[in-house]
Amino acid sequence: MSKIGKVAVIGAGVMGAGIAAQVANAGVEVLLLDRPGEGEDRSSIARDAVARLLKTDPAPLMHKRKMKLITPGNTEDDVDKLAECDWIIEAIIENIEIKQKLYHHLEKHRKSGSVVSSNTSTLRRSDLIEGMPEKFCRDFLITHFFNPPRYMRLLELVGGKETPEALLEKVSSFCDRSLGKGVVVCRDTPGFIGNRIGIFWLQCAVVEAMDRGISIEVADAVIGRPFGIPKTGVFALLDMVGLDLMPHVLGSMAKHLSPEDDFHKVYREPELIKKMIAQGYTGRKGKGGFYRLRPDSPDKVKEAINLVTGEYSEASRPRVGVVKKAGTKNPRKVLQDTSDAGCYAWAVMSRTLAYAASLVPEVTEDIAAIDEAMKSGYNWKYGPFELMDQIGTAWLVHNLEVDGQKVPPVLKQAEEHGFYRVRYGTRELLSMQGSYRKLLQRPGVLKLEDVKARGGPVDSNPSASLWDLGDGVMGLEFHSKMNSLNLWSLSMMQRAIPQIIASDYKALVVYNDGSNFSVGANIGLLMVAAKLRAFPFIDYMVRKGQDTYQALKFAPFPVVSAPSGMALGGACELLLHSDAVQAHAETYTGLVEVGVGIIPGWGGCKEILCRWATSTDGPQGPMPPVAQAFEQIGLAKVAKSAEEAREMKILRKTDGITMNRERVLADAKEKALELAEGYVAPEPLDIVLPGPSGRVALDLAVSGFHQSGKATAHDVVVSAALAEVLSGGETDMTRTVSEATLLELERKAFHKLCRHPDTIRRVNHMLKTGKPLRN
Amino acid sequence: MVDIVLAGYARSPFHFANKGALARVRPDDLVAQVIRGLVHKTGVAGKDIEAVFMGCAFPEGEQGLNIARLAVFLADLPQSVGGATVNHFCGSSMQAIHMAAGAIAMGAGQAYICAGIESMTRVPMMGYNPLLNPALAKSFPPAFISMGETAENVADKYGMSRADQDAFSLQSHKKAAKAQSEGRFKEEIVTITGPDGAVIEQDGCIRAESTIEGLGSLSPAFREGGCVTAGSSSPLTDGASVVLVCTADYAKQNSLPVLAKIRSIAVAGCAPEIMGIGPVAATKKAVERAGISIKDLDVIELNEAFASQALACMSDLDLDPAKINIDGGAIALGHPLGATGARITGKAAQLLKREGGRFALATQCIGGGQGIATVLEAAE
Repeated sequence: MSKIGKVAVIGAGVMGAGIAAQVANAGVEVLLLDRPGEGEDRSSIARDAVARLLKTDPAPLMHKRKMKLITPGNTEDDVDKLAECDWIIEAIIENIEIKQKLYHHLEKHRKSGSVVSSNTSTLRRSDLIEGMPEKFCRDFLITHFFNPPRYMRLLELVGGKETPEALLEKVSSFCDRSLGKGVVVCRDTPGFIGNRIGIFWLQCAVVEAMDRGISIEVADAVIGRPFGIPKTGVFALLDMVGLDLMPHVLGSMAKHLSPEDDFHKVYREPELIKKMIAQGYTGRKGKGGFYRLRPDSPDKVKEAINLVTGEYSEASRPRVGVVKKAGTKNPRKVLQDTSDAGCYAWAVMSRTLAYAASLVPEVTEDIAAIDEAMKSGYNWKYGPFELMDQIGTAWLVHNLEVDGQKVPPVLKQAEEHGFYRVRYGTRELLSMQGSYRKLLQRPGVLKLEDVKARGGPVDSNPSASLWDLGDGVMGLEFHSKMNSLNLWSLSMMQRAIPQIIASDYKALVVYNDGSNFSVGANIGLLMVAAKLRAFPFIDYMVRKGQDTYQALKFAPFPVVSAPSGMALGGACELLLHSDAVQAHAETYTGLVEVGVGIIPGWGGCKEILCRWATSTDGPQGPMPPVAQAFEQIGLAKVAKSAEEAREMKILRKTDGITMNRERVLADAKEKALELAEGYVAPEPLDIVLPGPSGRVALDLAVSGFHQSGKATAHDVVVSAALAEVLSGGETDMTRTVSEATLLELERKAFHKLCRHPDTIRRVNHMLKTGKPLRN
Repeated sequence: MVDIVLAGYARSPFHFANKGALARVRPDDLVAQVIRGLVHKTGVAGKDIEAVFMGCAFPEGEQGLNIARLAVFLADLPQSVGGATVNHFCGSSMQAIHMAAGAIAMGAGQAYICAGIESMTRVPMMGYNPLLNPALAKSFPPAFISMGETAENVADKYGMSRADQDAFSLQSHKKAAKAQSEGRFKEEIVTITGPDGAVIEQDGCIRAESTIEGLGSLSPAFREGGCVTAGSSSPLTDGASVVLVCTADYAKQNSLPVLAKIRSIAVAGCAPEIMGIGPVAATKKAVERAGISIKDLDVIELNEAFASQALACMSDLDLDPAKINIDGGAIALGHPLGATGARITGKAAQLLKREGGRFALATQCIGGGQGIATVLEAAE
């Protein structure tokens, strides 16, 4: 079956435009159509939607350049263009009659073998194809994206008995590899999987909080962190989704679910919420929702609604004892707790988990698919079945029985051994037949947790471990808090080198399963050292980082870094020293050190300077690379995607970008093995820099920014130190500057800055508030 | 002494750098099109031209490699025509006119094309490789002072209020917008064809809808708490301008449309930190050399690098506002550094002929602390 080379999206609303943007992010041409506008430009609706993509936050496009791949049009004048499309995605209003009218229109114009799918979230496929021609039914799927399509991993895919396997595979593969989605194949049931469970959970949490007099702040605290659920919990999440959407979704569920479904037990439309919607309190997009910023208040005071009185007052930061005690690894502790908050958590989570278990096999036979849906669609860290394993299935079954709740058969089956287990180095999961089967990953997917199941690490310390990834590739994992880099992390990098050489490994891949590759060097450590005036220790840390990264750069084997999420500061420097990077498309990276009053000291200045100096695009001469690096580091620029990182030269043209998070490790390993063939370590670079003449020009520019109020007094100090490094110190353009000299300049600048009281203030402020101090 | 005249003036439309219609046009192609336009308009014979003198403030990148000579080739002038690039920052192309006049006075030829070019899109201000003398930067920092800061200094020194600057800037836009709507620029603008075939025939920087409230709402651009804004500064601009400088006899023999006679020229230095005041000393010299007084001037083109410096010069020289920049100035039209001198000199000559009167002045300030001035006299 032919590949998907061109896509059409019909319906240029938030979802349609967002889906079109993600298709463009994948580098695929996409036609975005909406109904004809009334003015002279008949494609104005779609054209305006495309223009809005550049203004939307978070950005739907990974790079503004991608916009060129989206062609706006209208469903009358441009309908012929549908004949060029391999996949047509309908994302219009949730109305069967209107959708079917559109489908009949499409049928006349689409090419044979093309796929048509609906992005419906509430309608069933069987209802949408009723009375439609056989050919259409065969080619029709539901592809349910979550909002915003770029950032939410889940894609629910629904076919029917008439759907050819190859067609389902074609769309599934495209969504997985090109769009980077976690594809979950669902049965054709209301709300599919994500919303079926998610809506039950949210509704249960709202009515239980109302009935039990639990404040929304406490509800969000107790339902969030202990269960690996984002800190938005329930009420802040509803504010994000939009309160006005809920009656529609709830009504649809109530209408389509069987009368026996437990959903009906939690279904009701509270008067308070009706009133809030009527008054424009629809959530973040409106005047506020359960939370709001105090109106006419310049200091942005956050307020929370009282579920009983409907009055707003300043939001509290509830200190729920059990939440603290439970931490992030012991959800059972919260469920056992007899406080009001604990009882509330039990009421919500026990029913939600039991509900999820009761849906097997109605929505799917695959419990891993349900876990994937909740992790990808609702950003839960653990799926419901993984959570039940953590809580203890036997304990849960017992307590559900004590509570008088039904125990679904699949949970009963898991009572003894849980839903997942590891046997002989392989992860297994419970099947419908009550036996366990191997949890097989799709080809091209490698998870560190599967590697871990095979056995212990090759080497390990509290912040990092080495794993055998197979095929002669060693893996380096960071696992400190936020994967920040410290002496242990550096030591493990250094220890990896002799072990790789001695054991004939071919390559090293730096990767972890965390949501962030690494937030960079641990500045808390810097703060402590500075407070103790342990400056020699700071100098040692800088030196150790430099030595480690240089050792990796010139090691006799290739090093491939595979980031996803944040790779900031010291972590960005690691990417720069790697032979190659295989980045997840959602990689956010940059040299951000100036935010805390320092400069990159582990070779980051040197490497980014060399990248620009050896670049052949753009103007030549001693200053352009210096100016580029100066702007990038001096403004602490962060790439908001791997594509942007490539433009900033943190990624090279030869580095790879993987759209699907789950494929990053396998792709990185493949890249490492490719590089290992005949690998020769790079030669150290010598570059021409302008010396003091260039430094003066940079200083002059910063002085202008300072005078105009765009740069603070300490910005001037930090920039001057940065200018000294990037211009090459006292060099002259007739000479070359070695890597060693640049590293020495970095050390000197760092040495000076970390002793500066304003730098200490910046570090302190960042640690306390998470925000940079503009001093 | 031989009479030297301006016998033709043309320019490209002026557009904002980076976002304007000329952003994708190479500067050498741009100025060559204007030279071709001037040659066509005046009917001057290429073989008679001694050289092209081309003013450019940052002659590197696409403006490098002696762009004047390259423009000779691009404009299809005979290879016998010489080409020299002149850098006198903002005064570059007025300097080119002065050099041509001097050369003609020396008997070195009878006709020169004096041009100016600046693509501030394609060659940034300061150039690609700003490499400053560290010793001078230390011993005499004003040598490298930023232009915005000088504008603030002048405003301080002369007590130019924010309101005065905004009002002056608004007037510049209103005058330019009126001139544009009445088609008064058609005579001087050469239509430019872009690399994609786009036809560019109108100025792009003029804001006819500008209001005093709008200008008043802008934040200071160069100094925290300062009074100079983007609205009271000339914008970064792409553009080219060209004049034909020749002897009066040559113009007569060849029936060239004489605009004005060059009566006197001058340059003068001043303190770099108030470079905007440069036109004062230069004008005084030029007027004295012309043997006239300021009151004798009927038309004045005073470049508006910033409203503050233009107002300060007007105040110091006691200039009549009604005679200044009749069709708008650089705040509205734009200031493509190297091209401005030829524009204001050509424009002063054109206005002298159009408006009537005997003497005209074109003058401008120059970064580093200088002024340059040209006094023109109506042709007989």
